[in-house]
Amino acid sequence: MASTVIGAGITIEGEVTSDEDVIVSGTLRGKLVAKDAVTVEHGGVVEADINAGPVAVAGSVTGNISSNDRVDLQNGAKVVGNVKATRITIADGAQFKGNVDMDV
Amino acid sequence: MADRHATHDRTLIGSGTFVRGRVTGTGDLDIAGRIEGEVTCSGDVLVDGSGLVSASISARRIVVRGAVKGDLVAEEAVILEAGARVVGDLKAPRIAIAPGGLVRGHVQTGGAGAARPRTAAATASRASASGVSTAKAAPAAARVEAKKAAPPAARSAPAAGHGGNGGKSGASRVGPPPPVVPVLKKGTKAALHHKKR
Repeated sequence: MASTVIGAGITIEGEVTSDEDVIVSGTLRGKLVAKDAVTVEHGGVVEADINAGPVAVAGSVTGNISSNDRVDLQNGAKVVGNVKATRITIADGAQFKGNVDMDV
Repeated sequence: MADRHATHDRTLIGSGTFVRGRVTGTGDLDIAGRIEGEVTCSGDVLVDGSGLVSASISARRIVVRGAVKGDLVAEEAVILEAGARVVGDLKAPRIAIAPGGLVRGHVQTGGAGAARPRTAAATASRASASGVSTAKAAPAAARVEAKKAAPPAARSAPAAGHGGNGGKSGASRVGPPPPVVPVLKKGTKAALHHKKR
């Protein structure tokens, strides 16, 4: 399935709603809602609340992340905000400031 | 996995994606989904067949195969391919509309300048009207000019007559414009009646 890519040079200010994968290499401010996976790549900047399926972060996220699956904070990730998911991994080298909520 | 993490410099709004807001930046943009707001891009913008854009687009090159409601302004070219549906004005040095492309709006090729002809006529008539009110040296000549410009300036002409000292306001008055009623051929109404029944 085709996915949505926000390229490195692009800035979106507003709301992004998607039924498919979203890959952020650029900048997104506002709100991000996806039914499927969200990937914030190295160099990608998200200043928004993320509500999605599996979330993988290697870039920078300022905002709350809520996932109905897993959240992976990879090496180089910088996350400021609360994370709510069923499974969370934080890799060595990831920066993270916020609360973790794993519904047990 | 490694190639997925290579930085993308091409932006794609997929067919299942809806963006509301402003999209700006450098690089190319492919739109197969929906965008509502404003698109400003220094690269190429492609609105795919499934794309639905309700935004003004400003880019270097704009290629449209889908639907756009908003003005398209390109530095290089606007290309409407078959299946394109555009409601809005087009402005670019080069504009191509392929057979099968639909447009409703004003189209202007070439560089900047030259406003829309209709507004240009309006401003011209306004200018002539103001000329009538100010030029007291030769009011008769001015009135004649106003009469010449009567069809586009039909509404401003009486006002101009009042603005001048109104010596012969009756002469300068132009009758009401002809009614804008389509002339129906004989039997058209009957045919319509027949269709309804």
